This record gives sequence, structure tokens and C-alpha cells, in this order.
Amino acid sequence: MTFNDPFGIIVVKVLGIFVLLVLMTLFTIWAERRVVSRMQHRIGPNRTGPQGLLQSLMDGIKLALKEDITPTGAHKAVFLLAPIISTGPAFLAFAVIPFGPEVSMFGHTTPLQLTDFPVSVLYVLAVASVGIYGIVLAGWSSNSTYSLLGGLRSSAQMISYEIAMGLSFVAVFLYSGSMSTSQIIEKQTSVWFILLLLPSFAIYAISMVGETNRAPFDLPEAEGELVGGFHTEYSSLKFALFFLAEYVNMVTVSAMATTLFLGGWRAPWPLSTWAGANTGWVPFVWWLCKVFAFLFVFIWLRGTLPRMRYDQFMRFGWKVLIPSSICWLLIVATARALRNNSTMDTRGLLVTAAVILLVVVGISAVVERQRIAATERDEAERGEREARSRRLFPTPHAPAAASAAALEPGEAHDA
Amino acid sequence: MIAVFWVCAVLSVAGGFGMVFSRKAVHSALWLALTMINLAVLYVSQQAEFLGIVQVVVYTGAVMMLFLFVLMIVGVDSSDSLVETIRGHRLASVAAVLALLVLVLTMINQATQSLALNIVPTGLEGANADEGGNVQGIAKLLFGRYVFAFEVTSALLITAALGAMVLAHRDRLTRVPGQEELSRERLADPATAAGLPAPGVYARHNAVDTPALLPDGSIAENSLPGALVLRGTTHDVREEVAVTRAAELASDPKQAQEEQS
Amino acid sequence: MGVQLPFPTPQIEYSLLLPVLVILGAAVVSVLIEAVAAESLRRTLQPLLAFGSLAIALAGCVGLWDQRQVVAQGALVVDGPTVILQGTLLILAVLGALLMMESRVDPAGDPFAARASTIPGSADERGFGARRQTEVWPLFLFAVGGMLMFPAANDLLTAFIALEVFSLPLYLLTGMARRRRLLSQEAALKYFVLGAFSSAVFLFGSALIYAATGSLDFAGIADAVSADPTSGLLLSAGVALLLAGMLFKVGAAPFHQWSPDVYQGAPTALTAFMSAATKVAAFGALLRVMFVALGGAAWDWQPAVAVIAGLSMLVGAITAVVQSDIKRVLAYSSVAHAGFILTGVLAASPKGLSGSLVYLVAYGFVTLAAFGLLTVVRSPAGEATDVQQWAGLAKKSPVTASVFSLLLLTMAGLPLTSGFTAKFAAWSAAWGGWQTGVVVIGAVSSTIAAAFYLRIIVSMWFSEGDDAVVVALPGLGTRTVVGVGVASAVVFGVAPQLLLGLVDGVGVFLR
Repeated sequence: MTFNDPFGIIVVKVLGIFVLLVLMTLFTIWAERRVVSRMQHRIGPNRTGPQGLLQSLMDGIKLALKEDITPTGAHKAVFLLAPIISTGPAFLAFAVIPFGPEVSMFGHTTPLQLTDFPVSVLYVLAVASVGIYGIVLAGWSSNSTYSLLGGLRSSAQMISYEIAMGLSFVAVFLYSGSMSTSQIIEKQTSVWFILLLLPSFAIYAISMVGETNRAPFDLPEAEGELVGGFHTEYSSLKFALFFLAEYVNMVTVSAMATTLFLGGWRAPWPLSTWAGANTGWVPFVWWLCKVFAFLFVFIWLRGTLPRMRYDQFMRFGWKVLIPSSICWLLIVATARALRNNSTMDTRGLLVTAAVILLVVVGISAVVERQRIAATERDEAERGEREARSRRLFPTPHAPAAASAAALEPGEAHDA
Repeated sequence: MIAVFWVCAVLSVAGGFGMVFSRKAVHSALWLALTMINLAVLYVSQQAEFLGIVQVVVYTGAVMMLFLFVLMIVGVDSSDSLVETIRGHRLASVAAVLALLVLVLTMINQATQSLALNIVPTGLEGANADEGGNVQGIAKLLFGRYVFAFEVTSALLITAALGAMVLAHRDRLTRVPGQEELSRERLADPATAAGLPAPGVYARHNAVDTPALLPDGSIAENSLPGALVLRGTTHDVREEVAVTRAAELASDPKQAQEEQS
Repeated sequence: MGVQLPFPTPQIEYSLLLPVLVILGAAVVSVLIEAVAAESLRRTLQPLLAFGSLAIALAGCVGLWDQRQVVAQGALVVDGPTVILQGTLLILAVLGALLMMESRVDPAGDPFAARASTIPGSADERGFGARRQTEVWPLFLFAVGGMLMFPAANDLLTAFIALEVFSLPLYLLTGMARRRRLLSQEAALKYFVLGAFSSAVFLFGSALIYAATGSLDFAGIADAVSADPTSGLLLSAGVALLLAGMLFKVGAAPFHQWSPDVYQGAPTALTAFMSAATKVAAFGALLRVMFVALGGAAWDWQPAVAVIAGLSMLVGAITAVVQSDIKRVLAYSSVAHAGFILTGVLAASPKGLSGSLVYLVAYGFVTLAAFGLLTVVRSPAGEATDVQQWAGLAKKSPVTASVFSLLLLTMAGLPLTSGFTAKFAAWSAAWGGWQTGVVVIGAVSSTIAAAFYLRIIVSMWFSEGDDAVVVALPGLGTRTVVGVGVASAVVFGVAPQLLLGLVDGVGVFLR
């Protein structure tokens, strides 16, 4: 489903998206430094340009002019290819993001969106999965243990969290009856999906942080353990490309969240009563506000949360996020099927739901009691073991004069 | 559309050749990924949008990635063994390729023959129009005619998951000591209560593969990380110790006498 | 986005799918039991579930006796051959499950490793002792479910998925033997790699057939084939690859390379079930594909199948003569039997169908019993599978020796045993279909096979044995299995009309 734009308009849209993304990256880097500074009672960059706004531009220029180092043992071709593979798809994903409704552009009426097709949400997933190659290959080609570990971590992490992410999309597909971004926004005219599908939104919001390797899920580049992970060996422009890719990806996932759950470019409720709020170029402002809200949360998370341990992180993804999204999906699908096919009215539905809920709660209460009992048993066992080990605690030999038999070693210690 | 075809067709064939002729497994995997992505683009340009995108998500994004995952552990420096263990392997490959070529040519021949008979292929466009879209058409087949096969696939997935569990996971016979218990245990022994000696405290090296030296100049073996000892990649300092010792003795004759006596 | 067309709810005839659904449902429940029940509970619950579901499925199968219908949107067919094959498979599954439960012959425990994930020979492995891996039950049920679907599948896609559903658990179970675990794991790997390859070949063949005929349905393929009898290269190549994929599963030469190693390495209880049931399922599907979908092109595939049948019989019989391991002897003899059954397929007639079905039923019970009996002859290291170790068995246990002799003679096709009935049914069909050459080869290889069966019998009865080899007293399960095998050999041999009448009554494949 292309929009039959003339070639010139397509070029304008492509350039517009590219410039927008680069500008947003520069702005987000600046915002991140300022916001985190604020949270840490510092000031942050405020010298270059008004409020330090040009700081990231200057840093970018400096970074590009630095010496480009390729490690001796590195695989040169792949080492060069990796940052390109990482950055390219990040930009590609934006081809299907709608920024606004139909607008007039140089006399042509065209939607504020580069292109759309029936499976465009899946397209975003596909492009994201190609982007992982960049990180994995960077890790491999650097020929460094830190990089390799970072690359392996990131591929495992992204594949795992992509599953949860994909599952959270399904509920949206069920409600919108489509996988095209513009159709999904159209279906949110009356009510945004965040209200209907709050659990889906929560799952998406968590997995999008994992998908972009941001704190608290920034394990592939964990400075403390991996010295930067997959990009340890990168410098200069190649490193800048990874940096760019990370921030563009942040913008992409935020834009996807906006599209899928926050009504895309649609104006929020009190404003939507104004007829002009959803026409022309104005909705682009709402879109921008929503995306920036997400970006702010990203920064906020980084300023607040410590990094998770890798095993905890994977356990969370596989044992909490994926099962809960499957359960939620089951509920959504059942509700949809009942709405579509059965004669049951809302009251009957609610009563059935309540009964099911009661049963589930009952079962989980029983299971929980057993679990608590098991934990108590474990605790008791451990206490016993500890008591035993305390008895073995090394104490200085009692003087020969004192009767050795009089005191058990443990008692000696307790006393 | 023609431009898309020529670009992607050339790239996907190039990827195929690259995959076959690469000497490194990782390169082969990358070439194959290139082929897959280009095929996906071709699918999409033929109105099979769903197939194209799923091809990228599933094959390029997940399957090839897992391949790469395994290959990567091999490392950059290692070269794969290129010894052919099967006799007549090349001959058989050539024969198989020729047979496949004949097969493909037959298929093309059949297609052109039906064109000659004025049977114009409608492509997917026709099917998509009938069903109201590519996704809807696939859904109708998958959840209609082939719903049983689709459902039974779940048995396959459950078996696979169960098999992975059976082959890789087992309950523990004994409780594995946790961090807390290990530290308690360590404190219980006066010899290690203050921690193991740190490695690398040697004049010329400070890396973890260099053992610490005890006050009398002997090597503290337990200062080395166990993993390095198992791998045998620790730094041997005996020679350096001996040299230093000799120098010390030379500069201090009194101590040398003591040692001799 | 296009118009939203109403989606017709697919019709699933649940009552007609009962056997398949019950088994697959039980398998899923069984996985849940693994997840939540305690180990001691699982040990009793899992076999109960397995036997219960098999019994219900069997009852359902009997209830389908007169049904002739295409079900589940054309995915499966319920007709006479389906019912008789499913019934046979379910009975074989019950017997196989009895063997899997056997824990009296081996002092170390049941036939499966306590934990398949332990490293062979490690302290960890010893630590688990005689405990059981109850996961074998869900895997077993999935395998049975797939086997039930395979001969009933009505299109190539469903057939492929059914093939995978029953193959995957078998690959896993092969590698889970309690004794000689490295051999078992090696066998599993070989089976898996070759099996995956053959599945790919099957799939490639299906794709080519689809390209040639424009259909995956057997009926659709048959229409296309009869509309254009001058089959093109695409169809021929497709049929060849499809055949190769299926003949791999039945273990016909030259696609038999895996079977001796796998039969030897797998836990014997599983080998017993696998050798009997896989053959029944795969031959059932092969018959349906060949007769229903490709019946119109019989002239094209008959020569190829004839060559394979002849080769299987000769290779199986001749190679078996030089084997020293009794499990390998039986494996090669099963290759020969695959050839014998293929002679029935070759006839491409209703008579050929009933001949093959008779052979499958007769062979299935006997081979299951023969492998079951292997488990009771033991040395301190486990099962005594060397032919040398079986020498002088008659002095230690006349019953075992005579039962095994009877089973071997049945396999050789001695008159008044079910083996004779089966061979007669298959060969008379082939003879009637003018496949005289193959029948002659069959007779020759039968004679060779009889020679090595007799060699074992002679060594059991007339030579001195090894004192370390003992005959363990098996539990009720193994005894039942052997008893059923012997009973089938005798009853179907003395009164062949029972089996022939049963099979003739079911009619032909439904299109």
C-alpha cells in the first residue's frame, strides 16, 4: 500500500526523516546529559550554544575527527561492516512510522508517512532483527574477549526480548484487525489501545528497553564488567555510528509505542475536542510530544536504576515476561472470540471472568502456601546447618590449664 | 519492479556463491543472510509481503542468528578444517548440482510452456485480490484448510521444548552452596579467612595469570584463578624467581652463606 | 486494507478424530504432570495416563470401524485401512508401553537412563541410581500420536508434520538408554541427523509434486496425474524424493544404513516398539500415497519400487548372516522384511493393499515380542546381545529358547505360523500383479534368511554356553508382550482366515 507519491515528494520525505532522526539523536544526547545532571544535582553541559544545546554537535565533530583504530587481530572487512549494519536498519524502520495525517506538501496531498504496507509492524520487527547483526558482528570481528561476550550477550538478549515484544503486538493486531501502522492509528480514533490493552503496553514498554540495550538492561555494554562490550575496540566515526544507532533505535521504539498504544499522531483527549487538532501539520506536534515523553522515561530509567545481573535479566525475560504476555494474549483472544461469536452479554461475561479469576486465585493461594511451607523447611534446614558450622568456627585453643572437655567449641564461641 | 528484481537477484546469487566458496564458516553465514534478505525483498515485490517479512524475522533474525551465535564462539583467529573426509564428495556434489540444474530448467520450461498456451499467470496479485489481502489469504489457508496441520505443529514444538529439557536439565542431587554459604565457609578456615592472596604481585607483571610470591620467594599457587590453571595459560615465573634470587644472593654474601649452611 | 471477508469456521469432526486427539491430549496433560507433580507421584501417574489414553483411543478406534470419511477440512481420512492401521498401532503401543515399564529384568532399574542429561560414567549419573526419567511418557505419547496421524494423512503437508511429530520423540528416546549410554547417544545422533536429512528430502519431494500437479491433496494429485499420464520430470523427481524420504523411515535398502546402529543403540524396549510401530505407520502412509495419489502413475514408480524391494530383501538377508550382535541381526532382518512388504506395495492393487496390511500386522507383533525377549537374557554388563552368548540357552531356560525359536521361525516364514500367512498374502498379490521377478528374489532371500535364523536356533539348542549369561525372570508386562507375540504367530498361522478376513473386510483407501 504505497501512497502514489511523485518521486520528488518521496525524496523530500526520506530526507526529512533522516534529518529528523539525526536532530533527535543530537537533542536526546544533550537532553540525557542535562536531565541526568539535574537528577544528580549537577549542571551538565551549558556552555556551547544556548543551554549547551550545541554540545552534542561539537562532541560529534570531535569524535569523527579522532584517530580511527583497527585492532591488529580484528577481521577488517567485518569490523568495518558491523557499524554500518547496525545503523542502516535503525533508520530503515522509520519508513513505516506515521508522523501525521494527510498534509499538503508542495501542492500534493499526502500522508505524513513514507510508506505503509499490510505488514508494516512486522517489518519494523524484521528490520530490528537485522540490526542485531551489527552488534553481534562487531563483537566477533574485534577479536577481543570483552567484545565477544558483549556481542553474545546482546544477541541472546535481543532475541529473547523480541519474543515478548512480538507477543505484545499480537493483542494490538487482534483489536485493530490489521498489521499496518496507519490502520492501527485509524482504529484508535475513539480510544487509545493503552487503555484497552494496558498489560500489552507494559510488556512492550519493558521489552523495548531490553531491545535497545538501555539501562537497566544495558548488559551488552556494561562498563563495569565488559569495558563497553561489543564496542570496546571501536573508535572515531565507527563508534559514532554505534552511538547513532542506539539513539535512533530509542526513537524508533518510542515511535512504535506511540503508534501502537498512544494513538500515534492523534491529539490527547481534551485537545481532541478541538476540530483542528487532528488535521494538517498540527498532529506532528502531538506525535513529537509523545515520543519525547518516552525518551524522557528512557533517560529517567538510566538516571535511577542500577544495571541488572545477566542471569536475573534473562530469567525475567523468559520466565516472567513471555509467560505473562502469553497469558494476557489468551485472555484477550478469549474475550474477542466471546464478543464475536457468543450470545453472552457483558454481565454474563463479567460473571464468568470473575469465577475464573476466583479459581485461579484459589489455586495460586494453595500453591503459594505450599511454596511458603517449602521455604520454611529450607530455612529451618539452613539454620541447622549454620548452627553446625558455627560450632566449627575456629576458636583459639584454650589454655592447657583449662579443662578442654568442659567446653564444647561452639559453646565456647557463644559464650 | 524490474530494477528491484535485477538488484536483488544479482545480490542473492552473489550471496549464494559467496556462501559456497567462503573458507570461514562465519563468512558463509553472512553471505547466506544476504541471500535471505534479498529473497525476502523479492517476495515482497511479488506481493507476498507476509512471507517476505516473516522470512527476515524467522530465518535471518532468529535461525541464522543462532547459527552465528554458535560459530562466533569459535573465534576470529581459528581456521576451520577444510579436510574432506568423504571420498568422492566433490564428484557427488557436482552430480547433485547438475541434477538440480536439470530440474530447475524443466521447471522454467514448464512455466514458459504454459505461457505459450496463453495461460497467463495471475501471480499473487490475483489471489490477494480474491481473499482481500495477502495476510488474509494466508490466514484463511492456515486456519481453514490446514488448521489441523497448524494445530498439530504445536505437538512438535512441545516435543522440542521437552527434548531440550530432558537432554540439558536435571534436578540437583545436592544443594549448591550459595554466595552466603561459600563466604561463611571461607571465613571458617583461618588460612583463607582474609581471602586468597591476590595474583600479579610481581615486579615485572601485574596480570591475573601471574602468581603471587610468598615472603620467602616461593610461588603462591592459590593466588591464580582456577580457570586459568585448568586452561594452562598461567605465566611461568620460576625462571624469573631464580634469576632474582641469584641476583639477591650475589649482592648479599651473608645471606648466601646462610643459605649454604 | 482490503475488504474483510467472512471467515467460515473450519469443520473438525472431533468424534472421528478421537484416537488421535485423545493421545495428543494425553501427551499434553502428561507434560503438565511433569511440570507440577512430585516425582513419586509421576512414576505412577504417567503410566496410568498412558495406558488409560491408549485404551480410550483403542475403544474409539473400534467405534470408527464402519466410518469412511474425509475429516478435519481434508487433512485426514478415516477409512478401513486407517482404522486397522491405527488399531494395530495402538495395540503395539500398549505392548511397547508394557516393555517400557519393565523394571524387574535389570537390577539397575527400568530401560531408560535415570537422567538423560547426566554425563555417562559420572558420579552425578551414579547418584541418581535407579530413579526414573518420567519424561519418556509424554515423548512416547507424542510419538504414538504422530504415528496415528501418519497413515491417515490426506495431504502431503499433514503427512510431513505427522512424520516429524512421531520422529522427533523417537530421536530423543533413542538416546536415553540406561546401559551403554555412549552407544545409545551415538545412535540417537545418527538417527537424528539422517532422519532430519530424510525429512528434508521428503519435503523437497512434496514441493516438486506440488509444482508438477498444483496440489498437496492426494485426491488433487491423483486428478492431475490421471489428467496428464505422461508424467513430466518434475513429477518423477518429486515422487522419487518422496519415496526416498518414506523408505528411509521404513528402513528399506539403500536407505537402511541407520537402522542397525539405531536398533542396537536404543534401549531395547524402545527398539521393540520402534521397529514394529514405525514400520506400520510409515508403510501405511506409503501405501496411501502410492495408491491414492500416485495410483495413476503406477507404471512409473513400480520399476523403482521393485528394485528397492529386491535390494532390501537381498541386502537384509545377506548382511544379517555375518552379524554377531543379535540386535543387529534383527535389524537387518527388519530391512529384509521391509523388502517383503514392498512386494505387496508393488502389486498396486487392492490385493496388494490387503497383502501389505496382513504382513504389517503379523510382523509387528512378532518383532515386538522378539525384541522384548532380548531383554531377559542378561550378562552382568547388561543385555547379552552377542550371538555367542545365546549359545546353549536351551539348557538355562528351555521356555525362552523355545519361544525365541518359534519367533525366529515365524520371521523365516515357516508354514503354520503368521509369517507364512503374511508372506503368502504379499507374494500372491505381487504374483498376480506380474511382479514375478521380485517374488523369486523374495523366495531366494527368504531361504538365506531362514539359514541364519536356523543358525541361531541350532546354537541355542545344541551348544555349550557361557555361565555368566543368565535368563532373568521378567515382570508381567514383558511376559504379556511375548505371550501376545507368540499367540499371534500361532493363531494367525493356524487360522489365517481370521487375519485375512479382518483385513479384507476393511476395503480400500477412500479418495
